[in-house]
Parts: sequence; C-alpha cells; structure tokens
Amino acid sequence: MTAHTPPASTRLWFLRVVTILIFAILLGQLARLQFFQGTGFQKEAVFNRTRLVRTKAPRGVIYDRDGRILARNTAAYHVVLIPAELPDDPDYTISQQKRRALYQEVAQIIHEKLDLLQPTPVPTLQPPDRKHPQLIVQASRPPEPQVLSVEEMDQLVLERELGSAFLPVVVARNLPRDVALAVAEETYHLPGVHLQLQPRRLYPAGLYTSHIIGYMGPIPKEEEKTYAQKGYAPDAWVGWSDLEYQYEETLHGQPGVKVIEVDVKGNEKRVVGEPTQPQPGHNLILSLDLELQKIMLDALVQGVNPKRSTSAAAVAVDPRTGYILGMVSLPAYDNNTFADGITSEEYDILTRAPGRPLLDHAISGIYPPGSTFKLVTASAGLQEKVITPKTILNAPGIIYLPNRNFPDNPDLAQPFVCWIHKSGGEHGDINVVQALAVSCDIFFYKVGGGWPPGDFEGLGVDALAHYARLFGFGELSGIDLPGENPGLVPDPKWKRIAKGERWVTGDTYNMAIGQGDVLVTPLQITMMTAAVANDGILYQPQVVAAITDADNHLVQFNAPKVRRELPIDPKHLETVRRGMWYAVNADFGTAPDVALPDVEIAGKTGTAEFFDPELGRDLAGNLPTHAWFTAFAPYQNPEIALTVFVYNGGEGSIVAAPIAKTILRQYFDIRARDQATGAKSLLDQLQEIAP
Amino acid sequence: MMRLNWRQFDWLLFAAILLVSLFGVVMIQSAVKGDPELTSFPKRQAIYVGLGVILMFLVAAFNYNLLRSLIFPFYFLVLALLVLVGALGQTIFGAQSWISLFGLFPIQPSELAKVALALILSNYLATHRERIHDLRVVLTGVLFILPILVLVAIQPDLGTAVVLAVEAAFIFFVAGLPWRYILGAIILAILSAPLAWNMLAEHQRTRILIFIDPTADPDAYFNVKQALVGVGSGGLWGKGYGQGTQSQLHFLRVRHTDFIFSVIAEELGFIGASILLLLLFFIIWRLWRIASRSEDPFGQLLVAGLTGVILFQTLVVIGMNMGLLPVTGLPLPFVSYGGNAMLSLMIFIGLAQSVAMRRT
Repeated sequence: MTAHTPPASTRLWFLRVVTILIFAILLGQLARLQFFQGTGFQKEAVFNRTRLVRTKAPRGVIYDRDGRILARNTAAYHVVLIPAELPDDPDYTISQQKRRALYQEVAQIIHEKLDLLQPTPVPTLQPPDRKHPQLIVQASRPPEPQVLSVEEMDQLVLERELGSAFLPVVVARNLPRDVALAVAEETYHLPGVHLQLQPRRLYPAGLYTSHIIGYMGPIPKEEEKTYAQKGYAPDAWVGWSDLEYQYEETLHGQPGVKVIEVDVKGNEKRVVGEPTQPQPGHNLILSLDLELQKIMLDALVQGVNPKRSTSAAAVAVDPRTGYILGMVSLPAYDNNTFADGITSEEYDILTRAPGRPLLDHAISGIYPPGSTFKLVTASAGLQEKVITPKTILNAPGIIYLPNRNFPDNPDLAQPFVCWIHKSGGEHGDINVVQALAVSCDIFFYKVGGGWPPGDFEGLGVDALAHYARLFGFGELSGIDLPGENPGLVPDPKWKRIAKGERWVTGDTYNMAIGQGDVLVTPLQITMMTAAVANDGILYQPQVVAAITDADNHLVQFNAPKVRRELPIDPKHLETVRRGMWYAVNADFGTAPDVALPDVEIAGKTGTAEFFDPELGRDLAGNLPTHAWFTAFAPYQNPEIALTVFVYNGGEGSIVAAPIAKTILRQYFDIRARDQATGAKSLLDQLQEIAP
Repeated sequence: MMRLNWRQFDWLLFAAILLVSLFGVVMIQSAVKGDPELTSFPKRQAIYVGLGVILMFLVAAFNYNLLRSLIFPFYFLVLALLVLVGALGQTIFGAQSWISLFGLFPIQPSELAKVALALILSNYLATHRERIHDLRVVLTGVLFILPILVLVAIQPDLGTAVVLAVEAAFIFFVAGLPWRYILGAIILAILSAPLAWNMLAEHQRTRILIFIDPTADPDAYFNVKQALVGVGSGGLWGKGYGQGTQSQLHFLRVRHTDFIFSVIAEELGFIGASILLLLLFFIIWRLWRIASRSEDPFGQLLVAGLTGVILFQTLVVIGMNMGLLPVTGLPLPFVSYGGNAMLSLMIFIGLAQSVAMRRT
C-alpha cells in the first residue's frame, strides 16, 4: 500500500468531479425551467387550475298574440358517471371489479324504473312513401330513453379517464322525469353517479308552428369561431331555422361566466374574481294566432288531396298592419324531432320526403300566380288610364294575335284563349269589375298587351312589370323569417339575358293573366291582396310583434312597417275590390260558394298552369295547374287578407276557395267569441303601452 | 487499535443532514396539507428523523471494524429476510418488500440490503485490494452481491436493485477496478439491455417510453408534466410556502415522496430549490472527504458505496422531477417521506461518521 499511491484517492477525486458535474447539470436545468421557460410554465399552471364556467342563460320563450306558448324550455334528464369519483384501487383488477359492480347496479336500477314507469312504445320517423305521400310527415316523437350496457359504460369511462377524468360520461339519456328522480334516489350512495339536467327546447304546438318557430341544433362547424366571439359556450345550441335562427341573439341571452380554481379532479376550490350572472334571453311575442294557425293547417290537410298535391300553403295577414296572423305549409313536420339532436337518417327522411317538409312553401316556394295576378293588371290598367271602370271590352273565347312579320297572314297568327273557351263559351262585352268577377282572360290580355293591334293600346310589358314590382313582386317582402324567395317579374331585359329571346306581345298577354314567367310566393300574393284591401299601403310582413325581457317588460315593439304607399288612386283600388266582391258574392262569380251569410268576403281565384317534367300534360294536352285563392274580409273594414295555395291542386275555385272559406268561417267565429267575451289579446295590451 | 475520537466526528455533515431532514419534514407538511389521510405524515417523519439521529450516533459510536466479524451473520440474515419477504411480505404498491419486525415498525429488507451489500463487498475488496486486477477476485465480489440483487429484483423492486448495482459499482470503482473491466461491464450492460427490458413491468416500460416520447401515453405523462409545470412555474422566489397551486390543488401526485422536489421548487422557487441542491451537494462532498481521508481501505470502500447510493438517488429523483430522467419511484434522500429510507440513511451516515472518527 505504501509502495505506490493507492488508486483510491485519484478515483475519489474523479468522483468528486462527477459530483460537481451532476449538481451543475441539476442547477442548470432548474434555472432553465424556472427562468427561461418559466413564463410558459406559469401560464400552464394557471391554465391547469382555472376553469371558465358558463352558467347557461335560459332561452327566451316564444308566445303567440294571446300569450300561448309556442316554444319553451324543459329539461332532459341524463344519468352520468364522473370517472374521477368512481371507486379506485391501485390494483387495476380490483379497481375494475369494483367499478363493473357499480355499473351493473346503475344499469339494473335504471332498467327496473324504466320498466315500471314506461310501458308505452315510442313511434319513430318512417321513411317516405312515394306512392302515398303524407301531408304530415310524422307524429310527435317523444325522446327515447337510452341506457348504455355495462361494457359500453366501462369502455367510455376508460376512454374519458385518459382525457379529463372529471368530465361526466352520459350513461343513460332522456329519462322521463319521474324515472330520473327515482333513479337518483336509489343511486345517491354510489360514488360518481349523478343526475344531470340538460336544458331542452319544447314546442307545445309542434307541427302547427314548426315552419314559423323552426328548430335548434349544435353550433355548426363552420360557425364555431363566430359564435365563440359572441361568448357562446362550445356546447351551446343555436337556432338552425326560422324564428329560432332569425332571432338567435335575442333569444339566447348571455351565459353567466365565472372563473373558478379547481383541483386536479375538477372540484371547485374558490371563485376567482367577480362572476357575472347569466342574462336570460328575451321573449318573442308573435302576431300569430295559434288558434287560426291550427284552423289553417287543419283546413289545408282536409282540403288537399295528398295523392295529387305534394305541398300547399296558406298565409293570413292583417291588412291594417302587415302582421302575420297565420302561416302554414304542407307537408308539416314536428320540430320537436330536433329537440335532442336529429340523427342523420331522420334528417335525410325529412329533406328527401316528397314536398320537402322542411321548406316553408309560403315564403320559399315560387309559383306562377295565375289569375290572382289580374289584381295587378286591373289596378295598373285603371291607374294608367288604359281603361276606366266604365270601359267595356269585347271578350270572345279566343283572339288571334297577328304575326308581327306577316300581320296580314291569318294562318301565322297566334291564338290566345280564355279559360271559358274550353267549354265553348265566351264572356262577351264586359267591364273590369265583371272581368275580375268571372276572371276573364281575354279582357286582361287586351288590357295588358292591347288588341286589336293599332286599335286598342294595352299597358305594355314595362308598365305591367313596373306595377308588379310596386305590389312587391320580384323582391323580398322583408318578413322576419329566413329563406324567403323574391320570385320573378319578367321583362324584356330579363328574357334577353335568361332565354336569349326577344320579348313579344304574347309574353305580355301571358304575364297579364299571371302566366308565362311570373313567379311569386303565397306570401307576396297575400301582401298584394292586403294592399288592395287597405287602399294601397304595401306593408312589410312581420311575425314578431314585440320583444319582452325575462320579467315580461316590453323591450321592443315592432310597429307596422310600411314598405311603400302605392301610387294608385284609392278609387281604382275600390274598383278592383268591387271585382273581387262580385267574384264571391255574385252568382256569376268564380267563387260564389265562398260567401258567408254574416261576413262579406271579397276574393280572387287563380288556376295557374305550370310545367313539371314529371307531371307533363294530361290526355287532352292540358298542363297541370296550381289552385290559388286570395281574399280579404270583411269587405267594408278588412281585417284579414288570406291566401290559399295548393300545389297541383287543379281549379282554384274548386280546391283553394273552399279551404279559404273553411278558414274564414272559423276565423270569424273565434273573432265573434272574443268580441263577446271582450278578451284583449296580449298583443293588444302591449300595443297600448308601446311608445 | 483505533480509538474513538469525537473530535473527528463531522459536525458540519451532521448539521447539514439535520437541516435537510427538517426541511423535508416542513415540506412534507405543505405537501400533505388538506389531505385528511396523510395529516400524521409530517409528525411521523419528524419522529423518524429523531430516531434516525439516535441510530446514527449509536452506529457512529460503534467501532465499524468490529462489524467485520458480524458481516457474514448480517449478510445471511438479510438474505433470509429477503427470502421471507417473498413468502410472507405484505403486498404494498405491487412490491412485497415490507415485513413487520416484532410488530413495532415495518422494515424493508431491501433497505437493509444496501447496508449488507456495502459491508460484504467493501470487506472482501479491502482484503483483496492488491489482486483487484484478477478476474477471479472481481467475479467472487460479484458472486457475493448477486444473491442480494436477484432477491430484491424478483420482489419485484427493480428500483432498489438498480441502486444496489450502482452501489456495488461505486465500491468496485474506488477499489481500483481496472478500466478494461469497467469498459467490459458497460458493454455487457448495453448488450443485456434487451434482456433487462423484458424483465421490466408494464408500468416501468411506460415510464421509460414516455420519457423518450411523451406522446406515447398522455395519461402516464400527466404526472411528469405536472411536476415540470410545478418546477417551472416557481420562478425566483416561488409561490410561497403552502401556496403552490400544482401541489395544493393535487395536480402533482405522490407529492410527499416522488415529487417533493417539485413542491419545493414551486413553493420556494429557485432560491429554495438551489439552497436544497447546495445542501445535498455539501453532504455528498463531506462524505467524499471522509472517504478520502480514511486510511482504512474497508472504511473507505464502505463510505464510497454509501455515498454512491446517496448521489445516485439524488440525481435520479431530482432529474426525474425536472424531466431529465424517467420516473423511478425512488425517494429523495433525507427529504422524501419514508421511515425506512430515513433510518437506513442515518445508519449510512453513522457508519461514515464511525469511519471518520477512526482515523489512525
């Protein structure tokens, strides 16, 4: 040992150097983490322990004009498991045994309660039947309770634990309230089992108002950012259609926000800063009358032949205000189907069913207006002095429009017929009132395009198109519902661009009787009738009349909005109204059966030919026709303007007019009842306090 | 005959150890705050520190050279205990490592194994120091420690088995094992890595895998990540004692044992954590000093082995807390909660002090 230096001392010095190195590395890493990466880690620590908790604000309620609820909030009851609170054991096998026993117990309790309390089977949405189309696509479908199996629970809990173990896993959804409460009572001793209440929208009137109210759904992917900026929670639901969509921000309110500090299991430890309270959404008070709405839908369903017509619509407005009183569209569907999120199969059924149930045909469907358009031609003719109320024109069953290049060759002349010509008749010498009453085509050909050429000058296409637009055709009515179609008022410029053809007098003839390329919505026709009825004011139709806050204080009153005052002398409109009066009240009119003994009704029928490649022509070579009827009543002080439209319905006088009669009959019955009781609608009361 | 010399007792080392141990008690108090099942832990740790100090003085006062005659009985006792543990031991955290001794307190035979291994290997190599170049001597040394290693490893307590191997390596190294053998051992270790990998339990493989690739198992990585966030968010002065959000809100798991360093770095910041690092460095430095100053080969090797254990565990645990090394589940010497570790560490220090006091 003394002979040479023991290697121990050098080796020990070596180890001292290693020790210094090790501690230098540790100290260096400490400094790196705390100084150079410190800010990042501090943020992560804050992110770790704080949660933004949103308290959902109750969504606004939607009422009809009498305060009947059309949309309100209820709760869906779900049973959830919180993985972090479930029994745990360091030994995985034991842990799993305990948990599976718990799942077993939960599932058993739920099934027991369900069997006791829920014997009724639930109807499901049936796929469309092409041979027997339905005008009402489905019955109301109560949300179906769903309970996961023990294996599914196990799987979901294990998956969730990898992510965030404190977020609930739904193991049974849509339990009826009494079942949910019974289950809660029997599972309170089980750790990690909770009852969750999820707000859900309920539409008490279901299919009667689905095209007005619409439905909701989760925030669409492409709009996630927009909604997040508005303070929406990522799991919030938003309006997808109709009023739920249009008034989304009014109805939604502002969720309450608080920042909490949580432990690793997500348990709230304390509140950081000042929490904000949720602001409930505002309520909508519609001008709609639910009673009338039901009357209209029922009348349509009864009056429409589903084997023939795939769709139909009816619109009622108050001609004094432009408020929508009722608006229905067939096929109807139940918007409650959407309350729990619709499956893609169900959505497919709804979108692919004949007649497209999700579409509101009253505002989105565009059709040739047929003879209802004669109100425009008549008003324009009178105002432009093409005719006077006293002008008498001869109306044979058929007239020939000479070929413009060979005016002297009668063989090349184009024939234009009156509807009455089919039965071999003619209207003879008539004035405008009579022409409206009998819906004479020849009279309006002449007023629109003039005949005989060089002898009687008509309005011409420019004037006719001008008046059509004044009445609101070819443009959006501005109704507070999404998806409106402006329709089409054709003119020479349009025809040149769209068809590459020159406008001819024949086109003006067709347009004068609402055929050819004119396309309108049932709502536009109703607004026209209302303008005729109210001496020339074209209103902007409105569904929502007032907005109130959660305490029912008035927030906003939507006073009637005038789109324009028509530059038409009221006395001319008076003449047009007389024509409509005769149509209903004279035995030579087109709709004498509509007349009611106690209320004077004035109206105009329409039978509009249309071309559909599937339907083609009938054996006699005739095109299929839509049935129209538009009316206002009472004749003296009109308070309702109504339009009934039946797709491929046939004759307006035979199909649409009787439906209108049923609706008007019942409408005036409930008006009489209300007047007898002296009941004031909620809307009237709000109108009184509105500034 | 060497004489007991209390003047040679390393009081500075003792002071540093007492300081670090009490610091540990205080930090355990913060770590278990709000955890009703663990409220007694700081008090229990304090009692272990007290018992440990007494044990240390007793061992220090004992002439370690007298132990040489007891080495073999002790060695076989430990082997017997390790076998017994396999048969009787309670299953705790998957390792059958605890048996009740006289019903007083549970002792871990694997902790005793660290002492037994140091004694038997140091004794053998001290007496065969001149022939350390002889492969037969080296293999005989390996033969002495192999039963202990294997018995601990099959418990299974691979963490301690690795510590025992490192301990033996330090003793061989200081005993002057030629570099060619060291190189050979390293090559052998690398070659047997696949074999070792197969011996690892599933959770141990996961720990290594997530160290290499944190995305491999995000759930398992959670703990490591939270420890990193705890250290990193501490800053210069820390969030204050008992104010660490990572620890107090339980984002850190096993806060009082595996991740105690993260609690310290979070709550006391760079200042607190680096003071602890310096104290631990000082302890190890003083232990190397004792080894260097000892003129007795047996004492020297004994202290080198024990110091190696302390250095290795410090590196591994703190490195793991700062994301430098994979998770092992070893305690931080003198700081982490645990009576057994504390008592066996105090026995180590007692032995070291005994060596210090018996310089000729």
